[in-house]
Amino acid sequence: MLSRGSLSRLWLFVHATFVVVSCFTDMEPGSGVGVSSQPNGDRFKIEGRAIVPGVKTHDWVSSARVLVEGEEHVGFLRTDGSFAVNDVPSGSYVVEVVTPTYRFEPVRVDITSKGKMRARLVNYIKTSEVIRQPYPLQIRSVGPHSYFMKRETWGWTDFLMNPMVMMMVLPLLIIVLLPKVVNTNDPEMRKEMEQSMNMLNSNPELPDVSELMTKLFSGSKGSSKAGSSSKSSRTVTKRR
Amino acid sequence: MAKLILLLLNWIFLCCNVAAVFEDQVGKFDWRQQYVGKVRFSHFDSHMQSSKKVLLASESNVFAALNTRTGELFWRHVDKTGPEGNIDALLQHGQDAVLVIGNGHLLRSWDIGVGGMNWEMVLDPGSFRSACLVGHQGAVKHLAVLKKTVISLHYLSNGHQKWVENLPESETVDFQAVYSGGNGEVYALGVVPNSHLAIVVYSLEDGEITKQVSVEAPWLSSIPASCSVISRGLLTCVDSTTMSLYTLDLHLQLEMTQIPLQALLASFATAGEKTVVAVMAPKNKTACSINLFSAETGRRLLETTLIFTVDPNGGKPEKLHVQAFLKKDDSVGYRVMVQTEDHTLTFIQQPGRVMWTREEALSDVVTMEMVDLPLTGAQAELEGEFGKKADGLMSMVMKRLSSQLIMLQAWIAHLWKLFYDARKPRSQVKNDVSIENLSRDEFNLQKMMVLVTASGKLFGIDSKTGDILWKHYLENIPLNAAFKLMVQRTTAHFPHPPQCTLLIKDKDTGLATLHVFNPIFGRRSQVTPPALPQPILQSLLLPLMDQDYAKVLLLVDDQYKVSAFPSTKNVLQQLQETASSIFFYLADSGQGRLSGYRLRTDLSTEQVWEVVIPTETQKIVSIKGKRSNEHVHSQGRVMGDRSVLYKYLNPNLLAVVTESTDLHQERSFIGILLIDGVTGRIIHEAVQRKARGPVHVVHSENWVVYEYWSTKSRRNEFSVIELYEGMDLYNSTVFSSLDRPHAPQVLQQSYIFPSSISTMEATLTEKGITSRHLLVGLPSGGILSLPKMFLDPRRPEVISEQSREENLIPYAPELIIRTEWFINYNQTVSRVRGIYTAPSGLESTCLVVAYGLDIYHTRVYPSKQFDVLKDDYDYMLISSVLFALFFATMISKRLAEVKLLNRAWR
Repeated sequence: MLSRGSLSRLWLFVHATFVVVSCFTDMEPGSGVGVSSQPNGDRFKIEGRAIVPGVKTHDWVSSARVLVEGEEHVGFLRTDGSFAVNDVPSGSYVVEVVTPTYRFEPVRVDITSKGKMRARLVNYIKTSEVIRQPYPLQIRSVGPHSYFMKRETWGWTDFLMNPMVMMMVLPLLIIVLLPKVVNTNDPEMRKEMEQSMNMLNSNPELPDVSELMTKLFSGSKGSSKAGSSSKSSRTVTKRR
Repeated sequence: MAKLILLLLNWIFLCCNVAAVFEDQVGKFDWRQQYVGKVRFSHFDSHMQSSKKVLLASESNVFAALNTRTGELFWRHVDKTGPEGNIDALLQHGQDAVLVIGNGHLLRSWDIGVGGMNWEMVLDPGSFRSACLVGHQGAVKHLAVLKKTVISLHYLSNGHQKWVENLPESETVDFQAVYSGGNGEVYALGVVPNSHLAIVVYSLEDGEITKQVSVEAPWLSSIPASCSVISRGLLTCVDSTTMSLYTLDLHLQLEMTQIPLQALLASFATAGEKTVVAVMAPKNKTACSINLFSAETGRRLLETTLIFTVDPNGGKPEKLHVQAFLKKDDSVGYRVMVQTEDHTLTFIQQPGRVMWTREEALSDVVTMEMVDLPLTGAQAELEGEFGKKADGLMSMVMKRLSSQLIMLQAWIAHLWKLFYDARKPRSQVKNDVSIENLSRDEFNLQKMMVLVTASGKLFGIDSKTGDILWKHYLENIPLNAAFKLMVQRTTAHFPHPPQCTLLIKDKDTGLATLHVFNPIFGRRSQVTPPALPQPILQSLLLPLMDQDYAKVLLLVDDQYKVSAFPSTKNVLQQLQETASSIFFYLADSGQGRLSGYRLRTDLSTEQVWEVVIPTETQKIVSIKGKRSNEHVHSQGRVMGDRSVLYKYLNPNLLAVVTESTDLHQERSFIGILLIDGVTGRIIHEAVQRKARGPVHVVHSENWVVYEYWSTKSRRNEFSVIELYEGMDLYNSTVFSSLDRPHAPQVLQQSYIFPSSISTMEATLTEKGITSRHLLVGLPSGGILSLPKMFLDPRRPEVISEQSREENLIPYAPELIIRTEWFINYNQTVSRVRGIYTAPSGLESTCLVVAYGLDIYHTRVYPSKQFDVLKDDYDYMLISSVLFALFFATMISKRLAEVKLLNRAWR
């Protein structure tokens, strides 16, 4: 019952706005019918409706306001989302619906001295450009405001896809998997391996695990580095 | 296309660079308090038994619904300021509340459940007198609006007018009230002061006058001030001179009956069929008692006494708002909201339990300061160690050890307290913030906010939690007072208490008084301020200190004589020594005169310079100097070619803003003058044609940023002026206004800003290393943190290698508002009037307070938190990685040992 009541009220409103629209479109300069219906001569009324798709108006109208050119004129939203800002003299105004939760695009409304209204997109750079918008205003929310930056979250995938990690992991895999893949029992292969091992490591005794690791890494990274690292390892051993 | 990509890249770079709020930081270090303002009308929603709403209409043109249990806001609607949004009357029926706004210009109906508007109606012009609801046969469907000459009836459902009638004899009779008893008649009550009461009765149906009577009432001068119509047509008036209550039955219209009273304040309320009057009477010095009387008989109801304790630091009770209800046994119970002179609302339940208080004075903060909290004993001990000169190595070591011991003790006590608190339920833990245990935290992030409100009430608020720690109401504050708050002594000089001085100046007479107080405790200081018999023109806080470390305050009176406070011998001697280097300026916007003065050794003054701005064409709007506690870290900017462009850092520079008196949009202009305050030399002058105010200015370092309205393009524009000395510095050690032969290079650039602004301020940090941001208060309630980088007159139109090297953003005409830059996310601050910034102990952090109708406090990090670990620092990750590495080495060591052993055995 209640919903029907509000529906009928809504219908009435739609009807009313329609009448207003036709009034404004019909009005020729000089007819002045619309003006005389205004109670105080050169003051006009900006009308429109704000819509947040998918959200009941009851949930957001209480925190919403309509600002005309900053706070020069203030209007409030009715419970159905429509609004009217009274007592606006002729001129050009930026009309904005302001809520803390939803974002609405501002609209520029031009009112002639005879009360003819026109709505257009706001363009601060080319101020005279006219891209018509419907009047009475239909302002649809573009979505909720995004106030927060996203935290950089730490995930395993991010860690693994890091190029540095990739650079470390791939050679490791090669080191671990290659001996398994390549047949070590093959004498030719063994000879080759031994040769390369000798080239890498002049000292057959392994003094430390860490040194072994560095050698393995430097060895796998490229032959150009291998030379230098083996040199350094030699100096280390010499010092010992 | 390439340009566009570059621009985009730049944007991405910037977006990464600009600090914003993260979602998990919500409420961590920021808080907001919302206010309504001084309450003019209140109405307890009683159409439902369970309803806990009270509707408030305030003098700040705010209409709000409060929760009577907690005192928090359900919703609030902020209309525009000034007489156009002024709320004349508040009526409520069921779910609807009707407001009469702007001296009877608008009729607005609200749905109080939702907080949305039902309808708005423009009324015929006429000065508003009164309004009431009109009921007929048990249903309220109309409302009557009484104006000076007419009375009109409107439908409650849509606001349309049913009928309008002229009032008879409206030239002689001052009609002030309208009433309807629910029997199809509307009563208009008029008064002929000190003579009689005129009553005109209209028919509800067609507005015909059915009856006209007059009743003798020689004591009555104004109905709204002393009378109220209560149920069944009983007009009840309080005569304050004879302390009595008069009642008059409007339906019978007999004589007025007089009931003597002993009362201070009275308020009427209706519960069901019964109408009661709550009467407040003083009990003793610190308490008032409130009693309930039956309005029909004037008899006191039993067991209805309620005690209201008057806050010694508050004002006297001014108004009672009574919520009466019927108890189960059909007797009348009530709660009362007491409004005091300092705009405080206290909601009391029987027998005197305070349910909540609201400090509505905080809706009108005029000026504020942030004061460091005092050190604790242990901290003071540690600090004291550095102050004293060495007296032997051994004793120093001993002292250090003992102070460390004290700190250890304090730490253990703290841990114990934490442990102890953890076991208690959460509700009991809080609430232990008191002035006594307040102490500075390690980064000096918690400070005492000292707020001065227009009503003359001072508040001390803990910046961390927003709790009001002290309040002090100054009585006899003139209505249009101007306030200036100065910190004379900070908390740094331990045995001496900190000291703040508030200069209160009556704008009409120019006479001023000083209130000296301790900003931590709010108590009036022992120091007696000097009496100031002459009007004060200017006040300045000198960096000089007396022997008690209080900074010297100089007051210049209208005879151009200077008096000092404190004025001890020591101070006077210091003043004499330094008099030749003390300059000050006076501005008279009425005569357009700006003049500079110098102090003579005998504390008289001599005029050094004068600049006259012709008042026929323009007027001085504002004068902005630099903040004295501002530090500039770098003297210059490194250019792309590794040369240095030195900043013109003149501490005496004044930015004077003028507006044209001609407001025609073709001819209006605003001017900005940069004047050296010592010599009067005009450093730079800029005129913005086809522009008008309001102009908002920020003046800091070597730049001035101002915002104005461009009448030609109908948009708001920002303009920035930066001053540079050039490639070499004239005198790099000391800046002297008297010895700077070269005029600075001036760079200026303007930008479009897509919103009007309410106020503007720049961030401030301890050493000035952190990059600056502008904090812009918008009418939508957001506070935008706009990097100064965007307002840089060196932004190039064509990008070159050098500009890229300098990290200059290519010029774009429009500045954009990104909601990520709102430091207050969805915690909007209505009607921002001022933003106060203060440095904290951390260089990266700036404390911000935005005040207006609401108060909002937060911390901002203009260059992100570079000196502390971020609060999202992943302790878990770093520790788990460390542990993993540790165990990996252990295991691999063990494995290696085993392998070696095996090899040795082979």
